[in-house]
Amino acid sequence: MDEIPDVDDCLRRWKVGDQAAAEELIRYLYPVISRIVRTHLPRRDDEKDLVQEILMKTFSRLHQYKGDAPITHWVSRLALTTCLDRLRAQKIRPEVRRADLTPEESDAFEAAWLTGSSPDAGDAIAARDLVDKILASLSPEDRSLILMVDLEGRSLQEIADTTGWSISKIKMRLFRVRPQLRQLIQKLEERK
Amino acid sequence: MNTREDEKWQGLLLRSASTFVGETEPPYGFVTSTLTRLRAEQVQVKEIERIGWRALLASIAALAVAAVVTISVNFSDRGSDFEPGMRSVVQMENIQVS
Repeated sequence: MDEIPDVDDCLRRWKVGDQAAAEELIRYLYPVISRIVRTHLPRRDDEKDLVQEILMKTFSRLHQYKGDAPITHWVSRLALTTCLDRLRAQKIRPEVRRADLTPEESDAFEAAWLTGSSPDAGDAIAARDLVDKILASLSPEDRSLILMVDLEGRSLQEIADTTGWSISKIKMRLFRVRPQLRQLIQKLEERK
Repeated sequence: MNTREDEKWQGLLLRSASTFVGETEPPYGFVTSTLTRLRAEQVQVKEIERIGWRALLASIAALAVAAVVTISVNFSDRGSDFEPGMRSVVQMENIQVS
């Protein structure tokens, strides 16, 4: 849906049981939640289920939304928290090793120098799987932080607004996680 | 300062960028199934609230009955020579008490 709905009006109508208002909200919030789930969780099959779960949470907590910030900010925070909870529940933090990479991931690692070439869909998926494997060694919070900075190019203030962390905490986390990430890449290089 | 590893990392992100793009439209059937689930949850919440109220009222009624019984037994046993409860046994067995 390209048209931005009148969120306040939708909320008012939803509170009195208007299903059309709920549908408008679902269509409006879907891309926001889909982007967050796709970015912050490893590539997975149950993505739609998780998006739906976040939407259910959103509707059950709508009474907590004060309206002092755009609803997309509020929902983004809820979506990110849910993704972090999901990552925390997995608990497994396997260290990525060159020997464990598939041939496609290995090729993707080699091709990562060739920034000029544009990958086809298969190469992009192999590169994504490798990115997921590297990030799996980091804590859920560090993983999300790195993606917000390196992939989405978000400012520290934007990250603070989404996560609720202070700017100094974000800086500290980045300061700690950057060497970890370099070390992981370095290990993949060494074990050729 | 960009290191060799940073460049490699950026290269990997660049190559995988298309896989991070979210969907702009919900897939077919998604909105309908979400609305159905939403309605089912609303019904469930209302049902739980209704059951909660009923349980609360039933508890209050049970408490009130217990209080009335306790008070009435207390009053009926007052002035008796027997331990509470014994009087009813005496009456039931029709024992003559002098």
